[in-house]
Amino acid sequence: MGKKRKHSETEAAALLKKDDSAPERPKRTLLGWKEKAQDAEEPKPAPEFRNKEKVLVTCSRRISYRYRHLMLNMVSLLPHCKKDSKVEAKSSKGATLNELVELKGSSSCLFFECRKHKDLYMWMVKSPSGPSVKFLVNAVHTMEELKLTGNHLKGSRPLLTFSSNFDKDVHWKLLKEMLTQVFGIPKEHRKSKPYHDHVFAFSIVDDHIWFRNYQISVPHNEADRVARGGLDKMTLVEVGPRFCLNPIKIFGGSFGGPTLYENPFYVSPNQIRALEKRSKAGKFAKKIKAKTRKKMHELSNPLEPDEFADMWKDDE
Amino acid sequence: MSLGDDFVEDDEMNMSDEDGAASDSEAESLSDSDNEITEKLTEPTKTAVYNRDGLLDKLQDISWPEDVEWTHKLTVEIDQGQEAVDVNDDLAREMAFYTQALEGTRQVFGKLQEMGLPFLRPADYYAEMVKSDTHMEKVKSKLLYEKKQMEETEERRKARDNKKMAKEVQSQKMKERAKQKKDEIESVKKWRKQRQKSGFSEKGAGELDLEFGNGKSFQRGGGGGGGKKRPGVSPGDRSGGKGKSASRMNNKKREFRDSKFGHGGRKGLSKQNTAETTNDFKGGFRGSKAGGSNKRQKR
Repeated sequence: MGKKRKHSETEAAALLKKDDSAPERPKRTLLGWKEKAQDAEEPKPAPEFRNKEKVLVTCSRRISYRYRHLMLNMVSLLPHCKKDSKVEAKSSKGATLNELVELKGSSSCLFFECRKHKDLYMWMVKSPSGPSVKFLVNAVHTMEELKLTGNHLKGSRPLLTFSSNFDKDVHWKLLKEMLTQVFGIPKEHRKSKPYHDHVFAFSIVDDHIWFRNYQISVPHNEADRVARGGLDKMTLVEVGPRFCLNPIKIFGGSFGGPTLYENPFYVSPNQIRALEKRSKAGKFAKKIKAKTRKKMHELSNPLEPDEFADMWKDDE
Repeated sequence: MSLGDDFVEDDEMNMSDEDGAASDSEAESLSDSDNEITEKLTEPTKTAVYNRDGLLDKLQDISWPEDVEWTHKLTVEIDQGQEAVDVNDDLAREMAFYTQALEGTRQVFGKLQEMGLPFLRPADYYAEMVKSDTHMEKVKSKLLYEKKQMEETEERRKARDNKKMAKEVQSQKMKERAKQKKDEIESVKKWRKQRQKSGFSEKGAGELDLEFGNGKSFQRGGGGGGGKKRPGVSPGDRSGGKGKSASRMNNKKREFRDSKFGHGGRKGLSKQNTAETTNDFKGGFRGSKAGGSNKRQKR
């Protein structure tokens, strides 16, 4: 607790020095808008907006290695997250997870749920009353793959780039806001590092959200100025991880609540597998049928006795 | 209803389902609450919830205040352009993501530079990185290995091509030489016939107006090799200069063996000490250089 006080003190001091903040506005807290009580202290500037986002990252039991590594990668990418132990399978619905989030004092949650050891679902939830989204995660490549060669500071604030499709529709806008809040590291976070050396790319292609993380390498000599012509020589190296999110449903409450959006094109992986099996299952039945058909046909149309069948028999 | 139209359009654009055979699978209908709008899609079996008002409400709830400084969010939107990227074409898709990120970074850097905030990491700033050093070592070794493989295949290919070329050139030369030889023999025969015809008169002897290739044929290869000089062959080389260069390069080994067994071998004294071997208690072959020089001295 002492640390928090120290932080706000230094911040107030910094503000007094800068004194270029916006005019007083209601202080925003998670529970609602708090009106400022006194207006007498005009010269004292209003406390600026502080991003107090805290993400809780957990997974279900029986998660496979690849997805576990993905979760660990997320933990290392987001310094404002808290990693928690695995939760029991039954508690993915409803109250238990909400309680857990409240207990840890986080404002949002990333919950990785692995079903049948094959499919990974990711819940992105804003805590007290916020919307929650369930995604199906595909095409996972973790940071440990040797083909992803980039590297960046641990905890440096990323630049977030979104493709313009995010503004096309309401549900994409909501998702964009949630992604910004969850993946964007708060500005003066304890564990954040000062420079910007990596960039996240969120794009919507084929109704999926694709995530990429690149390291920025640009030739420079000073910390606040790019070398002349350096912007043209900038290259991006992929750091990873990579994944593709397929939104399934958006709920009004956290981990449940009224369904606000359902993806019409979503087919659950179980159904896909069932369809494949069904198509294969038909093969054997068809073969049997074909055999019986052939037998019936032969019985009904017997062949004429062949004249030359015994020609060579006596010729020994 | 305009909403319905929008949605139908959306469907027609995205007709190809990413999972293939889904058109007959979705048959659920959801429970409606009072202010939900269920949209009927072009495929009648799909009924999906799309509560735009609810979504907008939630968006307002969770959004940060309007006049938050951009440095808190650090977001930038990139226009993708009109071509829809084909999902299955890996290269094109990754290129699209890359260009999006690059464009975004350029814009952001421009902004940050104007704001005067430091955003580039100085060269002496050492801090914990998201991938450990050992991991980066592995990455580096893999990259080096790949590069080496590529170079080796390149070299092999070049060597093969060169060999082919050399073989062609050589066959050409052989043909030329054979042709010249034939020509010369022909010319000598002709000359003899002429002489016979003219009855061995002495007059005709001087008239060797036959083409001997203007004396050039006595030059090596007739200049066909481009005046290339053959590398000189050492006098002790019994292969005539055509032996494998490797056997010639194996000098050290050859010298050693020669000194040991060549010209009838070595006389005694092989089991007697020299200055260096007096204090060697371990004994044995210490390495070709040392051994060789030792043995050579005792000759």
